[in-house]
Amino acid sequence: MFDVLIRGGTVVDGDGAPARAADVALSGGKVAAVEPRIGGEARRTIDAAGRVVAPGFIDPHTHFDVQLLWDGAAKPALEHGITAVVPGNCSLSLAPLKAKDRRALVGMFQQIEEMPPEAFTEAFEWTWEDFAGYRAAVEPGLSVNVAPLVGHSVIRLWVMGEGANQRAATPDEVAAMQDLLRASLDAGAVGLSTSFVDVDENGRPVPSRFAPFSELDALSAVLGERGGRMLQVVPEFYDTDITIARVDQLAELSMRHGIPTTFSPLFDSRLTPNNVPRVMARVEEQFARGARVWPQMQTRPIDISFSLLRPSLFFARLPRWVRVLRQPLEARLASLRDPEVVERMLADCGPDGGAMMMSELVVRGGDAAPAEIVGRTLGEIAKARGETCARALLNVSLENGLDVAFVAASRGHDDTQRIGPMLAHPLMHIGASDGGAHLASFATYGDTGYLFSEFVRRAGALTLEAAVKKITSDTAEIWGLKDRGRLARGQAGDVVIFDPATIGRGEERPQFDMPGDGMRYVRDAIGVETVLVNGEVVREGGRYTEARSGAFCALS
Amino acid sequence: MSAALAARTGAPLEGAVVVGAEIVAGHDGAADLLVRLRHENGVEATVTLDPATGFDLLEAAGAARLDDLVGRLWLDILKELSRV
Repeated sequence: MFDVLIRGGTVVDGDGAPARAADVALSGGKVAAVEPRIGGEARRTIDAAGRVVAPGFIDPHTHFDVQLLWDGAAKPALEHGITAVVPGNCSLSLAPLKAKDRRALVGMFQQIEEMPPEAFTEAFEWTWEDFAGYRAAVEPGLSVNVAPLVGHSVIRLWVMGEGANQRAATPDEVAAMQDLLRASLDAGAVGLSTSFVDVDENGRPVPSRFAPFSELDALSAVLGERGGRMLQVVPEFYDTDITIARVDQLAELSMRHGIPTTFSPLFDSRLTPNNVPRVMARVEEQFARGARVWPQMQTRPIDISFSLLRPSLFFARLPRWVRVLRQPLEARLASLRDPEVVERMLADCGPDGGAMMMSELVVRGGDAAPAEIVGRTLGEIAKARGETCARALLNVSLENGLDVAFVAASRGHDDTQRIGPMLAHPLMHIGASDGGAHLASFATYGDTGYLFSEFVRRAGALTLEAAVKKITSDTAEIWGLKDRGRLARGQAGDVVIFDPATIGRGEERPQFDMPGDGMRYVRDAIGVETVLVNGEVVREGGRYTEARSGAFCALS
Repeated sequence: MSAALAARTGAPLEGAVVVGAEIVAGHDGAADLLVRLRHENGVEATVTLDPATGFDLLEAAGAARLDDLVGRLWLDILKELSRV
């Protein structure tokens, strides 16, 4: 008797093979059979008629390290069909970490994740210092599978203390870092992450940025000796030439130590149209030499968001606005309440009252914005108020203590005709979602749904089979995840059942479900009906189940 | 001045010149400043700056508007920026 029998669906197996009608049987947490018609009984039968049955999706770039301590489903990632996540990116993980260094790490995490302070003081109890301890704290509550990286910055912090973000390491310190990395890998980490970009809450570079190349080389040697584990890097992505130089460095490390490497993010922009083509040309060259340097590209466009609480370059073409908004808060408020100043600011917006620049801005919510204007465009709000767009922006902000966020949607990485072929490139690794990070800035969920709705259905840039392969077996192979990413006998029972005609992402919306009633932006899943992890149903009928079948991923 | 001309005349190299500036969407959802530079060999390159650095750069360059950056020597701006 099978544990689960999924009948009548269209199997897209993750290998890129044509979709086919087949049943899928699961037993003991594994795929027992994928056949056109499977006989026999099962404890649970799921009717998948008219639906696609695919391997669970794998998200290779997340920051769920903290959230996993109280939410083993990494909500809402799992309801989007994500059955495995890679936390610990960008040089930051929650272990190894000495108790005395917790405060320093919390600052770095808050900078990246924008998680409320209560998350670190109320939502869980710090019971660990080493990586094995973190695993013991997290694993029992998992509904989603986890393939964590260990962060270079925390390894430095453990070994060097305050010197971690001040200087290069001594040879003895590098050796101690190597030992710590070995122990972390042996305890379940799938690789090492580092960053050349990130800063802490005070704007200081994170510790990994003080490491010379020789230190990264020494740590990469450990990744090699432990079977060729992943090195993840955040390069200076804002500069094409430096990014290309990092590709070359990663290629050297990859070939010298026999390791895969990946870097993110990689963006497209109309203003820098040669960025991705130039980087990919170098990536192709390095793959041809035998290196493995996988660029990660996200599917979703990039928005610009701001409120008048902080100065934004959104107003850079309005010098008077910049001068007013860069003042300290009290002076800024005084200026915005001064009719003469306001009239001059409005005059700068031109005869259309700022309509061209501001009418499409949307009030985001999750802050002091009144509910009746959340989700509406500034153009609509201005019309209802009988004001110009610029005046409405100022007045709505002033009426709510300036705590009203506006979003200018899809202002970068938004040209589907260009990005579709980039995502389809055989050397492009679809990822970089940043799931669980930037909580108060934008939603980092639903990128897989957007892959299908925008690039498969609307643009036809990828076939359904190719898109599934990209975020299942390709990801598993790149990362060396054992028995993941395919629907085939003996593979892990990670399955997502979805409607290919509707799978997508919902509108971005604020949700107050973080510790301390903290807010984050989320997107609901569309068209994903049932999700199984290691053979157990963890999500169905729009609800999570009690199953805690997630696990740390084993490596090939 | 081209590098070749500078070499012939003995004049000092002037370095890259700003030929454009735009606001772009940054990785973290903020509005970033993209500066387009043209080097002496004719190659164009871009530098993207986060909001804090972008504001500092505008201030250092004495630029009220983005277009005020156009035509400025990049090295001169960087020198001023180091004093901000």
